[in-house]
Amino acid sequence: MSTDLLADRVRTAVATVDDPEYPGISIVDLGLLESLDTTPDGHVAVGLIPTFSGCPALSMIADDVRSAVDAVEGVATVDVRWLGAPVWRVDRITETARATMARDFTVAVRIGRGPVACPRCGSPTDEQSMFGPSRCRAVHTCPTCAEVVEVMRA
Amino acid sequence: MGRTWTSMDDFEAFLDGGGIVEVDDDMPDAYRQAVFAFIEMHANSELMGGLTERDWIPRTPGLRHKMAVLAKTQDEIGHAHLLYMVGADMDIKTRREIIEDLFAGRSKFHNVFHYQAKTWGDQVAISFLVDAAALASQQAVFKNCSYGPYRRILKRIISEEGFHMRMGEERMLRIADGTEVQRTMFQQSLDDWWWPSLQLFGPDSKPGDVLMRWHIKSERNEVLRARWVQKFVPLLMSYGFSVPDPGLTHDPATDSWTSGPIDWEPLKRTLAMGGPDSARRIADAAANWADTHWVRRVLDNAPARAAGVAA
Repeated sequence: MSTDLLADRVRTAVATVDDPEYPGISIVDLGLLESLDTTPDGHVAVGLIPTFSGCPALSMIADDVRSAVDAVEGVATVDVRWLGAPVWRVDRITETARATMARDFTVAVRIGRGPVACPRCGSPTDEQSMFGPSRCRAVHTCPTCAEVVEVMRA
Repeated sequence: MGRTWTSMDDFEAFLDGGGIVEVDDDMPDAYRQAVFAFIEMHANSELMGGLTERDWIPRTPGLRHKMAVLAKTQDEIGHAHLLYMVGADMDIKTRREIIEDLFAGRSKFHNVFHYQAKTWGDQVAISFLVDAAALASQQAVFKNCSYGPYRRILKRIISEEGFHMRMGEERMLRIADGTEVQRTMFQQSLDDWWWPSLQLFGPDSKPGDVLMRWHIKSERNEVLRARWVQKFVPLLMSYGFSVPDPGLTHDPATDSWTSGPIDWEPLKRTLAMGGPDSARRIADAAANWADTHWVRRVLDNAPARAAGVAA
């Protein structure tokens, strides 16, 4: 099999792995996949970067990636690593994932330092707490529709 | 202003048609009270559960577990935070009143947090059995919940609780794979926590249960409880642990497990704040609230920062 074809298949397999805290949102769309190397004889190396280095989901995500890639035809060995660089930033989250987070989880993504729009009504929200249920999220409220919104931030 | 309904029949027809109530709707007072009481208990339970988890941060066997316990503590406290905001938005009690009622023993939280977690085995049993029971109850609410703001928060909470369950399974597998001392410790924890976990679902739902009628809950307590038993009995047995229920029966034809008679007295005692550890837990949570007063004072007095963010 050509390495291009194998790499495509592996990439597709990695994209089936969802974030454990956001079922339905792929870790690829969250920007966690940094590198993917394949050799003609089926050795695969996947490099991932964590949103936060203390994230407790790292081993779970790596396990999920390993089993997804393992199941791909033509794969002989899989090496999954968490890389120390580059540093993950919220702007690595794709437009698709941002839309899904807003629609399915009422979670906004904060890019830069400007106001954060409410995922329900679009009005600017007010920050209530720098931290929510995880270090990568703040808690905001919407003064217009009263929604309690979580905001992903770098 | 939101929607209004001319009568309770009109409102119930709206709910039966799959209608979702929003915070600014003019909902019937009985519905508002029922939803609020439900959210209040959920929020209190997240806070009390988070504080239990926090007690174990310095005591975890290993750094990997410590990382998980730290993150789980933040999750639970974060859930409490979100739920208290949604609860306070219902204009029945302010957030401060909700907290004060909790510390005065005037409002409820889940029975399981009225017991003491004495060993790491207890903590594993909690994250394995109790989290699964709590998740099953929350899923039964989320599936069909008629109150929009709660439903949306629940979706996020459930995804995270699902993740806790996987961590619980991992903790359980590790202990099941451990030494005889570890296995004996865990068996003791199962013996202590089996019944409280099962009682978390509550007694059989009454026929006229308003929580069911108003589409706050979508499944009956006994159905959820039976499903939990069906899942955990064979699972624990497959790892060589026993279930402390002498009345447990197995039907080979359907391969199903049914628990024996349940004594509801311990549950009633916890609801009356008379559980084995109720007084200490509440006092502890209140002391924690007092100890962190300075943090709230600093944040409350920092309007410039909040304004800077909004600008």
